[in-house]
Amino acid sequence: MESQSVTPRRWDPIVKLTHWGVVTAVIANAIFTEEGSGWHIWVGYGLAGLLALRLLWGLIGPAEARFSAFPPSPARALAHLGEIRRGEVVRHRSHNPLGALMAYAIWGTLLVIVGSGIAMSGPPPADPAAVQGEAGEGREGQRPEPDEEREEGRELSANLPGRIVNLIMPPARAEAAEGHEGGGGAGEGDELFEEVHEIAVNLLYLLIALHIAGVIFETRRSGHEIVGAMIPGGNRRA
Amino acid sequence: MAASHPDQTRPGQAGRDQNRRRDHRTALVAAVVVIQAVAAAFFVADALDDVAQDGLSAHVLIEGLIAFALVAGVVLGGWHMRTMLAEARRREEALAVASGALAEHIGTRFRDWGLTAAESDVALFALKGCDVAEIARLRGAATGTVRAQLSQVYAKAGVASQAGLVSLFIEDLL
Repeated sequence: MESQSVTPRRWDPIVKLTHWGVVTAVIANAIFTEEGSGWHIWVGYGLAGLLALRLLWGLIGPAEARFSAFPPSPARALAHLGEIRRGEVVRHRSHNPLGALMAYAIWGTLLVIVGSGIAMSGPPPADPAAVQGEAGEGREGQRPEPDEEREEGRELSANLPGRIVNLIMPPARAEAAEGHEGGGGAGEGDELFEEVHEIAVNLLYLLIALHIAGVIFETRRSGHEIVGAMIPGGNRRA
Repeated sequence: MAASHPDQTRPGQAGRDQNRRRDHRTALVAAVVVIQAVAAAFFVADALDDVAQDGLSAHVLIEGLIAFALVAGVVLGGWHMRTMLAEARRREEALAVASGALAEHIGTRFRDWGLTAAESDVALFALKGCDVAEIARLRGAATGTVRAQLSQVYAKAGVASQAGLVSLFIEDLL
């Protein structure tokens, strides 16, 4: 009978699904959807849901998925660097200390991307195909007529909860465009968010490259099945 | 019945199948939780937008209720997942402890009987349900040798047959 004292790490299905879901969303929005288009916004909201679930899972999930299993600690990351230099291989139940820092960095960046994205787009459009991206600036279809009345109604009525919501989430893109042409006041904020969005996305690409490099490096160094832990049916006991 | 299909009767196969079924069930619950979370993101944003448009109307209250139910569903689904995973892990560990203890117990018995290394190997295969021909093939030995070793094992254990040998350990477990 083979010894089973060392259980290979296997992430639970929620961790796997949210990880690969975010991967799919990032690839989709980086390559396939047009920036600022309805589909881009939809994919972004999907990513927001996945990210929120993973962060919730960090509070209520099984031990190795919880934040308490991998606190962001530069001291432990330095100690881990020492291990690498000395060629020691230590088994970690959750992320190793460097991997933990990477996870928090990626989550933080994703939060900034999602936040700035929502700040620009507003709520998800009812028909994503109807909202065009930056190339086709004329957006038709998105809640056309009633908005005019609502716009005025909103200014007159003391819609306090509505105004509070608008502090975090602007009205949908179609309305924002109208405001853009008329007053132009919202434009400056939008440009700022656009800048933040773009910088954060470029940072994300850098972090993803480092993350993949880290996985390859650690797999070659320690021989742990890091990839097997994240793929469906991987690291199963034979 | 076992001899003709050794692959199907390999010990542990049933336990592995059960584990796989459990894995599939947890994966299914996880998939539903993930879909709920994505739907909740859309719905909460939509409900917030309606608040921005109309203030707190009855329609918005219902939407808020649905949004709350979705989020609560995600949290409770996650909680359920966590208990499922913890239970699966506990069972796996208990099984590992039990099989480790049994292996240890078998080793002790073999030593007590004074089995040689080769006899211990043969006896272990016999316990796992292999017949003489299979043991000979697995060990790369002649059937005659294996038969002689097996009868030595039976003699030392004080039993007359393979079934007798197995029943010694079953008795210990019951």
